[in-house]
Amino acid sequence: MKPSARTAEQLDARALARRHREAMRRRARRIRRSVAGFALALFAAAFLVVYVQLASGNDPALVANGAKREAAALSAASDTESSAASETPGGGEQASGESSSSGSEASSSGASAVTTSQS
Amino acid sequence: MSAEREVIDELDCFGSRCGASVIGSGRARSADDAVVLVRRALLAWHGRFSRFLATSELSRLNGDTRATVPVSPLMARFARAVREAGSLSGGLVDATLLRPIERAGYVGDLRQPPALATALALAPDRRPAAAAASRRWLEVEVDLAASTVTRPPGLMLDSGGLAKGLFADVLGEALATHAGFAVNCAGDLLVGGAARIERPIRVESPFDGRTLHTFELARTGVATSGIGRRSWLDGDGRPAHHLLDPSSGRPAFTGVVQATALAPSALAAEIRAKAAVLGGPRAARAWLAHGGVIVFDDGSHEVVAPPRVVTLEQLYATSSRSATMPNAAISCAVSSAAGSGREMK
Repeated sequence: MKPSARTAEQLDARALARRHREAMRRRARRIRRSVAGFALALFAAAFLVVYVQLASGNDPALVANGAKREAAALSAASDTESSAASETPGGGEQASGESSSSGSEASSSGASAVTTSQS
Repeated sequence: MSAEREVIDELDCFGSRCGASVIGSGRARSADDAVVLVRRALLAWHGRFSRFLATSELSRLNGDTRATVPVSPLMARFARAVREAGSLSGGLVDATLLRPIERAGYVGDLRQPPALATALALAPDRRPAAAAASRRWLEVEVDLAASTVTRPPGLMLDSGGLAKGLFADVLGEALATHAGFAVNCAGDLLVGGAARIERPIRVESPFDGRTLHTFELARTGVATSGIGRRSWLDGDGRPAHHLLDPSSGRPAFTGVVQATALAPSALAAEIRAKAAVLGGPRAARAWLAHGGVIVFDDGSHEVVAPPRVVTLEQLYATSSRSATMPNAAISCAVSSAAGSGREMK
């Protein structure tokens, strides 16, 4: 059949098909935008959570490493505690197990003052 | 404000005063248990890190003829701190100068130091210290995983102030979950705690012991370094002290007699304080980026205010009190506080 011989019904069918295609494109575009928007929002939320966590000084990795280091350092300290206590320090640096002041106090400001000076 | 009890303990260690103050219970159990833990750790570490004890781990490491030496995890961290101190200070803070410090006369127990004013009157012309050309701290290599230290045999490490800063940090890690704490390792302090309780931190004058300035901080490392305390007169009657100019191997007289540095850790504060003293009056301020106090030869001092930091909690409180967006608060979080100034004695 020649194009010129198309009936009105056929032209309507083509227009209908075109409208269908455009509707499908619009739907695809809408879905694509939704997915991209959702992904962006998800990323921003995750970033914000991580940022707040780190900025507030509570880095979980540091806490975990700190706990490990603390365990290692303190266990090493307690391992050698008895040997250190039995040694008599000589020379320029003295260690004394005697406490010159030990006790408890509660200050009104919540924490007592500390002094830094040359060691 | 915490209503919990504060437990304070002090002891003589590292040839100076050490101690801890703990508020509330935490990972180290009660505050009483925590100060006992600190005391035990400090005494144990003194036995391992003193260069004056032939049996100490440090003396054994320094005397070991092997290039690579297995060490304890804490000694490995100290050796890494030696390397970091050199790197961060451009070689000014050099913990490989054990031989020069022994040659300068620091080989044992120091008697009462001469008065600082007397030592300064006898001291040579002032000049800033500089890094040693050899930069031997670069030869120290540390494998933390294997816990080994590699260096040329004969290269000896001086625990000096770096170890004390490191100890304060390690103890601070153990006490971090308590409401508040302060660890004092012979003048190197770490202040912190989960409740962020502000604590007055007083800086003492090297001339007369009076308080020069008081910081009020909840979390910080603090260290004070200077030429007033571990000092002596050598055989020729010349004043000497433990802070050496790496370039000459001689005690440094730079015009700064004491520097107190604030930093996120006690070790970083120790490095900054030493670098400020060795760098001299012109460079000192630049080393105190987190705040501090510089004391000069003439007895005057300069307070470097810490940068003002606004925490997220404060930011939240500000924004919920005010209808306006907290842009001003955000901008002031990154700006440095003014208010520094030099004060005469």
